[in-house]
Amino acid sequence: MSGLSASLATALSGLIADQGAMQATTNNVANVNTPGYSREVPILATSDPVVLGNLTLGTGVNLQKVQSIRDPILETQIQQETQTQGQWNALVSALSQTQVNFTSSSGDIGSAISNFFNSINQLATSPADLSLRQGVLTAAGNLATAFNSTSKNLSSQRSSLNGSVAETVDQVNQLTSQIAQVNEQISRLENAGQSAGTFEDQRTQLIDQLSSLVDVSVVPSDNTITITTATGTALVAGQQNFQLSTSPDSSGMQQVFSGTTNVTSTIAAGQLGGLLQMRDQQLPAIENQLDTLAAALATAVNGVQTSGYDLKGNAGTNLFQIPASTAGAAANISVAITDPSLIAASSDGSSGDNGNADTMYALRNQGIVSGQSASDYYANMVSGVGNATSNATAQQSASSLTLQQLNDERGSVSGVSLNEEAANLIQYQQAYAASAQIITAINSMMYDVIHMTTLTG
Amino acid sequence: MRINPNSIPDLLSALEQTQQQVSTDMQQIASGQSVNQPSDNPAAAGLLIENADQTSEADQFLRSIGSVQGEMQNADSALNSVITLLQRAITLGTEGANGTLNDSDRQALAVEVQGMQSQLVGLANLSYQGNYVFAGTATETAPYVQDPTSPSGVRYVGNAGVNLLAVGSNLSVQTNLPGSQLLSNSGNDVFQAIQELITSLQNGSGVDAAVNEISQAYDYVNAQRVFYGNSVSQLNAQQTYLNSETTQLAQQQNTLGGADLDKAMTDLGSSEVSQQATLEAIGQTQQASLFSYLK
Repeated sequence: MSGLSASLATALSGLIADQGAMQATTNNVANVNTPGYSREVPILATSDPVVLGNLTLGTGVNLQKVQSIRDPILETQIQQETQTQGQWNALVSALSQTQVNFTSSSGDIGSAISNFFNSINQLATSPADLSLRQGVLTAAGNLATAFNSTSKNLSSQRSSLNGSVAETVDQVNQLTSQIAQVNEQISRLENAGQSAGTFEDQRTQLIDQLSSLVDVSVVPSDNTITITTATGTALVAGQQNFQLSTSPDSSGMQQVFSGTTNVTSTIAAGQLGGLLQMRDQQLPAIENQLDTLAAALATAVNGVQTSGYDLKGNAGTNLFQIPASTAGAAANISVAITDPSLIAASSDGSSGDNGNADTMYALRNQGIVSGQSASDYYANMVSGVGNATSNATAQQSASSLTLQQLNDERGSVSGVSLNEEAANLIQYQQAYAASAQIITAINSMMYDVIHMTTLTG
Repeated sequence: MRINPNSIPDLLSALEQTQQQVSTDMQQIASGQSVNQPSDNPAAAGLLIENADQTSEADQFLRSIGSVQGEMQNADSALNSVITLLQRAITLGTEGANGTLNDSDRQALAVEVQGMQSQLVGLANLSYQGNYVFAGTATETAPYVQDPTSPSGVRYVGNAGVNLLAVGSNLSVQTNLPGSQLLSNSGNDVFQAIQELITSLQNGSGVDAAVNEISQAYDYVNAQRVFYGNSVSQLNAQQTYLNSETTQLAQQQNTLGGADLDKAMTDLGSSEVSQQATLEAIGQTQQASLFSYLK
């Protein structure tokens, strides 16, 4: 009887194990479209055998656990690449917007510079002509307006990036808070000896999202994980999360704080890294070039204007008004003269002399801005913006491709294959049926044993 | 070895790329430009800006040349009239030097020459588009005023200024001759010469000497007039040069930034084929899995 009972128990273990394996298969199939889900594999092991005399008999099968199949190194690589991609995405988006200001159009700075100098040459053909003088004032006005409006657009973009910085920090805080909660659930399950596979998948997803926003470094510690930025600013330590805060500086730019430490310059990747790079480095550099151009052009023209004489024979006064410092030149440049007779075309005071107008025209091809002519300086500036944009786009594409390949690999390791699950289903179903059949047979045999000693009639 | 069972993201990414390519091709075809934003070709974008400024400058030089040519042609035509007047004065003077004329005949000649004096002043005070052409750079005031106290009968109130004008990247031309150099130059003053002819005819003596003075003035003005002929030729030559320069600049612009429409059309065609193929591939990945075959 003990043999039959033992066989019964063994067959039962088979039923239980197969049921458990079915559950894992069912869970996989149900989650085939869940992003970040790692397929579960039932780990079956032979139960310890018993020894009876000189017989060693098996005692069946044991479903040890259901294991999620994932590759932690691959996860780390994906997180790294996600940070890179997040950064380039932010930069490409911002630079594409910036470069619209420097795409050729009839009102752009390049045309305005050309038209201004054209109006001076035309004036030189008949310096006392009031309508030609007015033409110079109009062209100067258009030039100032072109600088003003480009500067305003760049400034506006910087404000918008600033707003995005604050929003991104909020998103980071939400994610770190969620990760801390999931860590708590994982710890609880593992302490109770259960598998926390689903929560680990969730956590991986959250860390991936966090990676797209900011650079992260994930370090296992104790039985949980610690997340910091690449330069060590704490984000999550086990069940505790550390919020980042933002606070505007004297010019209104949001600075990122961890506690009381300003960590703005340490954020190197992710969307936040890209936004900060654009806001604090790329955009100010372009604005600075624009200011340099406006200031140099205005200063050179004013210099010629004040060395000559206007239509009434008086010494010339400034044509352009700019601030004392280079910063803000493009935003604030304006025409200081409204009376066309005040243009100093004459070099000796006589009303028909065009010597000073000639000198002013000669500025067109002189190296008045860092050794370059105004037009060449502008051309190089535009080229620079174009280069930055096309480089960023190329990096973004490369990063996209790498991420795609990593995700493919991850899919090959952890993705659910319906074919595979269907095959497993058949296996477990048949094994279950066989074990059930054995139980039927054992039942019949037990019946025979019980009724073995009953004599009929 | 196991492959990624979910191939949809890869196919979608491929689809996005072909759509991007289609969009780029269409932008080029619609605008006719291969450089629609600086990132399309940063180096070309910079060169195109420089090209645009050079073209703009060449066009401006052509406009300025047109303005100056107008003034010069008017000046030249006025000088032509001056020279004709001087010729007539020589004729009259030669007649007056003839000993057979009587006083009243010479008076009649003197009156005609006096008429020439005021015509000369009118020609010397030529105004073109608001500027007095022979006034040097004091162009707002008529350069010659009648002055009975002056030996030549007129006084020059202009100045000796000359203007230069840039009409090429290395070319500046003088645009005017002041009257003080042209018409009332000391030693070759046409007004002085005419005045002396009048006086000599009225007095009946020294007519020959007066006629000589006028001949001298006549030669001098003819020689000075060459400035206008030469300037107009020089400006014409510069116009021709600038026209060919603008043609070259236009070609350069096309090379740098023009779309190769044939290539873009071909690319568009193959991008669309590629897009179609990708769409079909996505459609066909709805494969049956093993589950469909379980009874």
